[in-house]
Amino acid sequence: MTGVAEVVPQGVDTPIADLRNLRIVAKRSRGGESTIVSSVSLSVRRGESIGIVGESGSGKSMTAKSLIGLLPAGVTATGQLSYKGENLLTANERKWQTIRGLEIGMILQDPFTMLNPVMPCGRILEESLLPEYIHGGRSAREEAIRRLAEVGITDESVIDRYPFQLSGGMRQRVAIAAALCRDPQVLIADEPSTALDVATQREVLELIKQIQRARGMGLILITHDLRVAFETCSRIYVLYAGSLVEVGDSQRMQAEPLHPYTQGLLLSEPPVGRRVHKLVAMPGAVPTADEVQGVCTFEPRCRWAGPACREGAPPLAEVTPDRLSACIRLPEIREEMRSLQTFAEQVAAAPSTDRPSPILEVRNVGKSFQVGSRAVRALDDVSIQVGANESVGIVGESGSGKTTLARVLVGLETPTEGEIVIGDTTTRQWAKVRNEERRELRSNVQTVFQDPYSSLNPMRSVGWTLREAITTHDKNAANPKQRVGELLEMVGLPATYARRLPRALSGGERQRVAIARALAVRPKVLICDEPTSALDMSVQAQILNLLTTLRAEQEISYLFISHDLSIVRHVSEFVYVMYRGRVVESGPTGAVLDNPQHEYTRKLLESLPGGG
Amino acid sequence: MTSIELDLAERQAPARTVRRGLVHGLRRVRGSVTISFLIMAMVAVTAVFGELIAPQDPSAQDLSLVLAQPSGAHWLGTDELGRDVFSRMIVGSQAVFLGPLIVAGGAMLIGNILGLLAGYRGGIIDAFIMRLADLLMAVPGLLIIIVVAGTIGGGYWVAVGLLTLLLMPFDARVVRGATLEQVPRPYVEAARTLGVSNRRIIFLHIWPNISAVVVANTCLAYSGALVGLASLSFLGVGATPGSPDWGQMLSDGQNSLFLNPVASLAPGAAIVLVAAAVNIIGDWGYDRLSSRGASR
Amino acid sequence: MTRSSLLMYIARRLAAMVLLLILLSFVIFSLTYLTPGSPVDVLLGPNMRTPEAVAALTAKYHLNEPFFTQYWYWVKGAAHLDFGDSIQATLPVSDQIASRLPTSLYLGVYAYILAFAFGVIPGVVAAMRRGGALDRVTVAGSIIALSTPAFVSGVYALYLFAVVVPIFPASGPGEGFVDGLWHLTLPAIALALSVVAFLVRHTRAAMIGVLDQDYVTFAWARGLAARRVMLKYALRNALMPVVTISGTLLASLIIGAVIVEQTFSLNGVGSLLIQSVESKDVPMIQGVALVVAAVIIVMNLLADITYLVIDPRIRLGRHEA
Repeated sequence: MTGVAEVVPQGVDTPIADLRNLRIVAKRSRGGESTIVSSVSLSVRRGESIGIVGESGSGKSMTAKSLIGLLPAGVTATGQLSYKGENLLTANERKWQTIRGLEIGMILQDPFTMLNPVMPCGRILEESLLPEYIHGGRSAREEAIRRLAEVGITDESVIDRYPFQLSGGMRQRVAIAAALCRDPQVLIADEPSTALDVATQREVLELIKQIQRARGMGLILITHDLRVAFETCSRIYVLYAGSLVEVGDSQRMQAEPLHPYTQGLLLSEPPVGRRVHKLVAMPGAVPTADEVQGVCTFEPRCRWAGPACREGAPPLAEVTPDRLSACIRLPEIREEMRSLQTFAEQVAAAPSTDRPSPILEVRNVGKSFQVGSRAVRALDDVSIQVGANESVGIVGESGSGKTTLARVLVGLETPTEGEIVIGDTTTRQWAKVRNEERRELRSNVQTVFQDPYSSLNPMRSVGWTLREAITTHDKNAANPKQRVGELLEMVGLPATYARRLPRALSGGERQRVAIARALAVRPKVLICDEPTSALDMSVQAQILNLLTTLRAEQEISYLFISHDLSIVRHVSEFVYVMYRGRVVESGPTGAVLDNPQHEYTRKLLESLPGGG
Repeated sequence: MTSIELDLAERQAPARTVRRGLVHGLRRVRGSVTISFLIMAMVAVTAVFGELIAPQDPSAQDLSLVLAQPSGAHWLGTDELGRDVFSRMIVGSQAVFLGPLIVAGGAMLIGNILGLLAGYRGGIIDAFIMRLADLLMAVPGLLIIIVVAGTIGGGYWVAVGLLTLLLMPFDARVVRGATLEQVPRPYVEAARTLGVSNRRIIFLHIWPNISAVVVANTCLAYSGALVGLASLSFLGVGATPGSPDWGQMLSDGQNSLFLNPVASLAPGAAIVLVAAAVNIIGDWGYDRLSSRGASR
Repeated sequence: MTRSSLLMYIARRLAAMVLLLILLSFVIFSLTYLTPGSPVDVLLGPNMRTPEAVAALTAKYHLNEPFFTQYWYWVKGAAHLDFGDSIQATLPVSDQIASRLPTSLYLGVYAYILAFAFGVIPGVVAAMRRGGALDRVTVAGSIIALSTPAFVSGVYALYLFAVVVPIFPASGPGEGFVDGLWHLTLPAIALALSVVAFLVRHTRAAMIGVLDQDYVTFAWARGLAARRVMLKYALRNALMPVVTISGTLLASLIIGAVIVEQTFSLNGVGSLLIQSVESKDVPMIQGVALVVAAVIIVMNLLADITYLVIDPRIRLGRHEA
């Protein structure tokens, strides 16, 4: 036996599911094929949890779908999936029907769309229960209640409720119970926590882990987040552009990754516990599997790439008995990788805790919305300050009011009470401000939005968008075309990008353009509303580094809004924690995160992977 | 609006969902789009130069040759007054081309302006336009036209005017719906944050992004108007009696299906072909424009 | 936001409906004045203009009273289904409508059933075979059928099945149920054709949308039987938007019926309308128009309420939690 099987310490039983040389191709609509997964082998044993980690485009979701025979039309998988002596990849639909749910179960990412909207939760469970699973004269309903209890739902009324009447976390629990109704041997969980709020994420992950242990079933966790995988799984498979680059024991991989990509992923995420100088960002973006056929998939982005990396696709080779790596230069570069890690983990000096004089102030601002017949308080007596060239973080979950605050600051919402001071102008209602003053306000505060895919007008070229920003601010701008080039250069894009339409840009590139647009009016404060949450981890680090550089170059202040404490730790000196429309805690970032005072801040910190 | 109404509005399948994946299937029916454009080009030419192209005088009667079968002299035979069916069809294409063009164009122009305003501004304008649309959509437009045009008379052009008026709220509603989808998008908010003028935002930002819906809807209005006007003529409340009009030719020829069926079958087929061509062009345009923006 | 707000919604819709009917009745009543000629001439029609006749009409329609008073009398009558007398037949309008109604109803119901049977099923099948030959044929066919007005399909049906292969009668409604079915088959097909196409498109689109949903994938992943996934998951959710358009469909069926009745010489309400338009029989036009409009408005309301009832998200309110 070679490869994967040897990785696992010799146990009593053999793998329940064993996948070899999986290859997935999709038919293109205009003829030809594109590769989604070029080569993946993995195995899972009874009572074992494995993680498949990869960024978007790595092929992790398709791999998961192939394991349960649910690839979309036009997508085919070849290779071997041994399950109880049969190759399931060649199985027909009838065979799969006896496997799905009963042998292999699956839960999907989004609890809001996973449950039939017109069926009460109880019915969803009952229809999945097989008659022989109802023991001891119980009715299907009683069994369903018992199953709900297993996932931590003790409120029996849930059984008669429709999915839309439940919170995201509750829905995900119901979905887990439904997936487990026929007691599968293996559970595939595809990003089960990504769509949930930070605090709920950890609960759901722990629930899955706990059920997996209690039932002794195999778990395959698909995630983009290495830290989540480390927390939940015993063995990790790192997938990049359709092929595995590293496989190994979770703890040892965390201590020392043995592939430059794995290391890059780890280092590009800002650590929670400390502030580092600069993130180690990988350049570029994830290629498609076809772009890197026959070479090392990571070669185009690797700092250690050499000629050898382009001579054929490197095999996944054994480094130590429980570690596999697809880096053929590993013996030469291992020392350098270690020193890079040491370098990257150096703790930066704590920023000065003195606050500069404020250039933006929010004084006792409140905002109420009318939702149907009841009023919702989105902001309640919120006061914050941003000083010159200071970076201020605002932390909170969805519904905390942080985004409303950002919108109030740029005049997209009018606060119900309180006032906003920007530069020399004090205002509450933008509509009542004189035109020149409004222009002044606008040139002082600009926003970078969360979703780079919709923050640029899809019908307009990058150059058009930037030129509009320039001329709106300054009607007689001297040479707008030249300025467009300068702006693009400032955010690290070639000037030729001016001619492109947004759809020809990657997510990271679009976010760079959005930053350039905001900078076109030379603002004093840049509001960054979750600017990286829609981006891949490796791209997130690029954007965070760019923002750090720009701040030094442009002498600009940031108001950084995020749900992610580690990002806030990395980018800000002062932080406000928001909860249900109120600021519940504030202070120098380091002090707040190291020694949280408010219960909610503590809960947020605990819910971080690797945090609690 | 209460949330029930919002829910309803949300769920009442907009043009987009109906079209989803439709053209995709259609495009594989090879050449359908090209043929559609050819048909429309032909109709446009005959509509403009019909009198010159027509091989015979469309109103010249030959009572010795009534309801003749198709022949070398009369390609599609003659009607019950011995007039050349082919020539009448060529000249009649004017009514098929011009009327619907005015209806679709007019309804689109007014509908777009009202819809954009309603969607972007909201408030009273929005409430007023939408209530009006609700009202007009609840009554069957063609019924109103039959009754009104039939009673007070006026024929084709009154029908064209009324149809424009009655189709306009549909366009306004669709455009408003599409606009409402665009307004909360970050690119619009970014423009507002930058201080871009409202007029610029409406016409240079939002409008290009809803162009797919506009084009599809205009084509739908065109084919709807075409069929509607022909129906009115068929019922005798559209085109003036005796004038060459496809709908009227159909109803005239219907009584002589035994003698020269072509006299009514040919204009019938022509109506279907032109209406289908416009619908196909609309679907194609929708597909092209919406994939261009690739709004994710 | 629960049952009470649902009732509120229905109450408001009812109020709007009444308002709309009042407005429509006003427009319809005004026809007497909009028609060229004095109201007396209009109501007299081709009958002899004798002083007695004029006096009788003036008294009957309160022509000496102010416009709004006249309207009030008219609307009061209309509420009791009294629309005055037909000029042509000098019979009460409502009697004539009642005598024509069975044929129209028969035709309408027949076409409605045909439309749903031949619209929904092919739509579902096409969506399941998306991109395949069957799907393409269905889509192409639906575009053609959607572009075919009822009078064209009617004339073609007449030509094919009554002239070329005479297997169906060319005109008349027939006597009794079975004969009626026989006589009304061609008209019903002609009438249903474009509605079928509309339904095929909507069902197909809705079904494709639903089949792509996570909850369907999740149902497969749990190993539920294919029949169950298709019926309880895909079809159940796909048909809900189809229900909402059934009201709109009815409107187009009724308009189509006017045309089809004319084509197949059926003595229904539609042909009554056209006949009275041709003879400028204003009281008759008013009566038919008001009845037809009322039917359409009520059916639209029923379709919306049905939708509210079958979707739990709306029935129970989605923000309850």
